[in-house]
Amino acid sequence: MKFTIDRLNFIRQFNNVLRAVPSKTAIQILTGIKFDLTEAGLKLTGSDADISIETMLPVTDEALKLQIESTGSIIITARFFSEIVKKLPEETFTFEVKDNLQVTLTSGKSEFTVIGFDANSYPHLPEVSDASQLEFSADLLRGLINPTVLAVSAQESRPILTGVHFLINADGLLAVATDSHRLAQRKLDLPNVEGNYDFVIPGKSLTELARMLADYQDDVQLKITDNQVLFTFGQTQFYSRLLEGNYPDTTRLIPTDSTTTIQIDASTLLASVERASLLSHESRNNVVRLQVNPAENMATLSSNSPDVGNVEEELSLSSLVGNELDISFNPDYLKDALRAFGSTEIKLSFTTNLRPFTLVPSEDAEHYIQLITPVRTF
Amino acid sequence: MAEWLEVPLQYHTERKIIHVDMDAFYASVEIREHPELKNKAVVIAHDPRKNHGHGVVTTANYVARRYGVHSAMPAAQALKLIPSNELVFVPPHFDLYRQVSNQVHQIFHQVTEMIEPISLDEAFLDVTHNKKQEPNTIKLAKWIQQQIFKETHLTCSLGISYNKFLAKVASDHNKPIGRTIIRPEQALVFLHDLPIEQFFGVGKKTQAVLHDLNIYTGGDLIKVPQMTLIRRFNKMGFIMYQHARGVDDSPVQGQRKRRSIGKERTYSPEIQAEERVKRQLQLISQLVAEELAKKQLHGRVLVLKMRNSDFVTTTKRQSVDQYLNEAEQIFKIAWQLWQTYGDLADGIRLLGVTVTDLYPQSFENIDLPLFEQ
Repeated sequence: MKFTIDRLNFIRQFNNVLRAVPSKTAIQILTGIKFDLTEAGLKLTGSDADISIETMLPVTDEALKLQIESTGSIIITARFFSEIVKKLPEETFTFEVKDNLQVTLTSGKSEFTVIGFDANSYPHLPEVSDASQLEFSADLLRGLINPTVLAVSAQESRPILTGVHFLINADGLLAVATDSHRLAQRKLDLPNVEGNYDFVIPGKSLTELARMLADYQDDVQLKITDNQVLFTFGQTQFYSRLLEGNYPDTTRLIPTDSTTTIQIDASTLLASVERASLLSHESRNNVVRLQVNPAENMATLSSNSPDVGNVEEELSLSSLVGNELDISFNPDYLKDALRAFGSTEIKLSFTTNLRPFTLVPSEDAEHYIQLITPVRTF
Repeated sequence: MAEWLEVPLQYHTERKIIHVDMDAFYASVEIREHPELKNKAVVIAHDPRKNHGHGVVTTANYVARRYGVHSAMPAAQALKLIPSNELVFVPPHFDLYRQVSNQVHQIFHQVTEMIEPISLDEAFLDVTHNKKQEPNTIKLAKWIQQQIFKETHLTCSLGISYNKFLAKVASDHNKPIGRTIIRPEQALVFLHDLPIEQFFGVGKKTQAVLHDLNIYTGGDLIKVPQMTLIRRFNKMGFIMYQHARGVDDSPVQGQRKRRSIGKERTYSPEIQAEERVKRQLQLISQLVAEELAKKQLHGRVLVLKMRNSDFVTTTKRQSVDQYLNEAEQIFKIAWQLWQTYGDLADGIRLLGVTVTDLYPQSFENIDLPLFEQ
């Protein structure tokens, strides 16, 4: 097995596959990336058992300057290899497998010899041939993942909550995530969808996927089976395991009425909450208090830390309607939610200080909602 | 050698602190209950002759101390040091000592609410502002000492000074039935000849290091530059630096906060089956949760303790984001730790679960009712 390739273009592809490679694992072979060289090109495979990524570097891609002398397969310890290739001196490098799985890397006057592993010891990636198939634009997919994945649970105690729940049927698409203290829901109208889908993708898979899709503009194909999902885009195949179990019914949790609403620019509120949380973080309960006073058309945000001091500021509201309110909550949840809205006017709706409150864009309340539960202090 | 950085000390000498130390407390209580023991060498410990040679001395009266017996010594050694016609082993009766200790504390409460108990027989009192409106601390100390004797027929030694460290040095100075005051202007003289092992926090290990540095007394310690002590002993080094100069601003803390709540169980025969470990961890987690609920506390660190048949004890800790207080949460983490670190190969003779980093439950993030119907 021997090939020569453009170093920087190789690294870009290699690092994408590296996203799946765990730094620590019970299965030693997974710290490696598999190289499969055929006449068609070089295929790279990495996996941590939850996520698997396969990318083809085709011989037809001129930017890669891929020259194949002889085909073959091998596994290379991934992170170390990446460090080496980054530091090689020339524009291209040559990769050659010698006897006893020894691999030499030559670039200019530099030559490394590293130990490879038998390609046959790498696990087989699952077959997903008979799966149902869907297609989304990368843009739409990013718009589904980024606003919801922030609300997945980081705790393993309820594994199903570490994922985003997708429900696809004639009504459209619903993506929901919750860690039981907050909830994020995105709704899309999908014309021409056939069949019903109900699956939960681990949040970590989606975060990595969104990063890989950051600059991608074309369509992404989805194939879904009982226990896994495959995203195909460009030359890359991204496999993720699906979470097992029934996702709780979240639709009943979203309040339909409110007694106090305020409208405010999301980025303005974010700046205020960030200031308030400077102090809440110094206190052990991490709570920010919002007091709404309709009589004076005023809302104030405050927080205090017994050891440091306190902060209080009046919010610059666009509007305020309804009853007086005094509510406390974890500002980090609100910050995450507000970042997802960007710079747009949002509406916050409250009922009582012990009930969840919601955030929606003022312009489009139908398709995106964030919900946050308050903190009870006593 | 000049140091490039030195933290200046502030002298606060306006406080009035009394350290009360009951004289040979457990032994004295036993003698009070059994006057015939008065002239015997009383050692509070299980009799090693009836206990397979095991047992540790809890307290010894002054007769026994004359033979060189002291607390924490193996009881078997007391047997060698004291002639058998004088020696009496008395097994400890902690309930009784606790009862007497409460009685003594009632007297403290007549003087101040700022009481810091160190153990059943020792406490600090801050009497700067006292309920008796008594500006003369020596008079106050005398009253406490007499009142304790009147009500319990037990003697104690008192140390009086402007901070806790010096008050304790003072009470140690003259025992039993002593009363010693160290005034601000006398502090350095007192500390100059004080053996280094009597400084706070100086155990056997630190003592050896200090001796290597030719430091045997407070007078030697005060010559050591601040940064040398801090580099060598970290936080403790700075405390030693301050104490050598008679500085100790630590407050007399009322009820000390509970830092952890834990429960453990020993098993004989040892546990051999994983299923039993699971059931026991569920049980222990339940007990811990009940205790937390009773005290209205919750914590963010869980410690699992495991001991095998060779008495090898392992503890593993896990921090969590959300405060723990429910049995189910506690068990879940304990069980995760067991599954990662537990080892049944040598059998398990003890399991313990402790929740630490405790705080009062003063807030609660409301949960969405996701799993309720």
